Amino acid sequence: MLKRLLYIAGILGLLIGLWGLYDRLVYGHMHANYGSYVVWGLWVALYMFFAGVATGSFMLATLDLLFDLPLFRGSGRMALWGALVTLPAGLAAIGLDLGHMSRIWKVYLQPHFGSVMAQLVWGYTIFLGIIIISLWLSFQPQRSRWLKPIMAVGLILAIFLSGGIGALLGVNQNRVSWHVSNLPTQFPVFNLTSGVALMLIAIGWFGPQHDPRRTQQLRVLSLAMIVLLLVKGYYLWSDVSQALYQNSSHGAAAINLVLFGPYGWAFWLLQLGIGMLLPLIILTMPIGKQGFAAGLMGLCILIGLAVARANIIFPALSLPELQGLGEAFHGPHLSFTYSPSLMEWAVTAGIVGAATIGFLVGTDRLPLFTRPTTEATGTAD
Amino acid sequence: MSRQPTIPLIPVSRRGFLGALVAGAGALAVASVASSAITEKPTDTIDMLTPEEALAAYEAEIARLRAARISGTPIDQLERMRTDLLRALTKPVTERRWVMVIDLRACVGCHGCTIACVAENKLPPGVVYRPVIEEEIGRYPNVSRRFIPRPCMQCDNPPCTGVCPVSATFTNEHGVVEVNYEQCIGCRACIAACPYGARTFDFGYTYTANTPSAAMMLGAEQAVSYEQTSTFEYSKVHARRDLHDSPVGNVRKCHFCMHRVLNGQLPACVTTCIGRATFFGDANDPESLVSELIARPNVMRLKEELGTEPRVYYLQ
Ligand code: SF4
Ligand code: SF4
Repeated sequence: MLKRLLYIAGILGLLIGLWGLYDRLVYGHMHANYGSYVVWGLWVALYMFFAGVATGSFMLATLDLLFDLPLFRGSGRMALWGALVTLPAGLAAIGLDLGHMSRIWKVYLQPHFGSVMAQLVWGYTIFLGIIIISLWLSFQPQRSRWLKPIMAVGLILAIFLSGGIGALLGVNQNRVSWHVSNLPTQFPVFNLTSGVALMLIAIGWFGPQHDPRRTQQLRVLSLAMIVLLLVKGYYLWSDVSQALYQNSSHGAAAINLVLFGPYGWAFWLLQLGIGMLLPLIILTMPIGKQGFAAGLMGLCILIGLAVARANIIFPALSLPELQGLGEAFHGPHLSFTYSPSLMEWAVTAGIVGAATIGFLVGTDRLPLFTRPTTEATGTAD
Repeated sequence: MSRQPTIPLIPVSRRGFLGALVAGAGALAVASVASSAITEKPTDTIDMLTPEEALAAYEAEIARLRAARISGTPIDQLERMRTDLLRALTKPVTERRWVMVIDLRACVGCHGCTIACVAENKLPPGVVYRPVIEEEIGRYPNVSRRFIPRPCMQCDNPPCTGVCPVSATFTNEHGVVEVNYEQCIGCRACIAACPYGARTFDFGYTYTANTPSAAMMLGAEQAVSYEQTSTFEYSKVHARRDLHDSPVGNVRKCHFCMHRVLNGQLPACVTTCIGRATFFGDANDPESLVSELIARPNVMRLKEELGTEPRVYYLQ
């Protein structure tokens, strides 16, 4: 029933997305609401979110396929599948955000490696290759000796790429709320949180019901999630308190926008309430270790993380670099306020829908919760 | 979809085109040449003065100014700057240092420079290179106002170039931060990196699209044609005919009107400034007006603490 509902939601999203895609491809960026001042909008937030889920999922896959933890045996493929469907979703979002999508080849053939963006494009492309190869190897009947080295490389890359997203923002010294040295160090934690959230959904909703380890897996994942949420909360507190302490700075203005701006409700309700506090409470209770509740909390946390990505990007860009710039010249897309357009939402719905369907199809058609024989002598689970 | 019909470009050189405008025949020239199609490629470049031509023009200008001085005719600062400019063009490129000086006390906030820039570079709606920021000081009714024109600062340490994933934006040999429209993928990382908000994205709008029009309206075709004809930014030919082709989908910015400067003309914003508040020239020439101005004690640069080393100076 749950799966059917998710399929329907995914297909609906996909259909809406087709209209958005048509609009984007025919009219370019005209019907988007990001502009020359708030230059990055919903799709960049979506890219950061999905890229985070992909790297986080990969980190989780290493528990099985690299570190051989008996408790997580058999969950590696599922985590890799999660990474495989979410990474292209993120790349699609950022691709559609480009002014000239057809020139993306230039980043490969004429790159400027000093640019964090170029490093990320290359890094994510290699990472996608690693996900595909490791997934393929994990489906081999005999466990390949290449799997562990590849997973190890992938793990290092996943950590660096996570930090890279923080660096993409952090290198802009003119954006005070981004240009803090610990931003790149926060992102691996955020992304690991995304990965654990996806695994809560995967195991809680789609995991093998009769696997005796399932309850234990959910318990460990819940515990890990509680720790991660507390660390996330600590980061949030340090960001907010430091910025607000000097109430005159640009950083304080950005935080004020997050907390009390037009989308303050999204912070309090979605990012903090549904995305952090509710899961913290539920996951500490016995009900939180039950499949449905654990999956639901995973979903809540993912929603909170998506809102958090938006709250990192939009407010920092909504502050004029020079006072009065917003009023100096008027024209389309010259505004320091931003709310995504219908077209942006439609494309977002399509990408989320496609990722959801991809994930569900995998759980239906692929043996994701089994694993290859352990070395040459082991037996399949 | 609001795409414009493709209209052939104007087959005249930059100088020829300006000459036609100066002769008061701009509109007619556009109309008459629009029918004769040529194929302009974005890689086509326009003429610029050779050092010999610059020297000849400089000597002629000096002779003219000398005669004016003898006859007691007042010499406008624009004339002085143009002479400075021609003198700079006789020097090797590496020995010039183009800077702009803006006198905040002289700016009257007319936005003339903004509009001159829009006209010179045929900027579409939503793209602006030189807005004039208005600052109100004090509290009503005891207020005074200050106007701050804000071109691209052509920073010597530009934070906007390093972030570009494809090296589409860089400091060129003239010290001007350039955007290569054919290379730019439109990621907008450079906009996020600029501390002065000096870059805008071309979303593909035109002033003529979706405006009410009558079938027989005089000049309607030419207006569309005007919006699609080439600009000469970075001394290259850039037509703007297609919603999906450059410069649409690119980031755009002020370039100190290098296509004019290299032809011995001052930037459009400088020539049009009614307050005579904007100055341009070679800071590597102690005789130049801009050198005199930036040596004054009341000079400042925006956000100097960031270490961007702007080439735009403000007198306050
Ligand atoms: S003002 Fe902005 S766009 Fe211009 S050079 Fe400096 S950083 Fe780059
Ligand atoms: S928008 Fe163009 S010029 Fe700016 S960073 Fe991206 S590719 Fe480079």
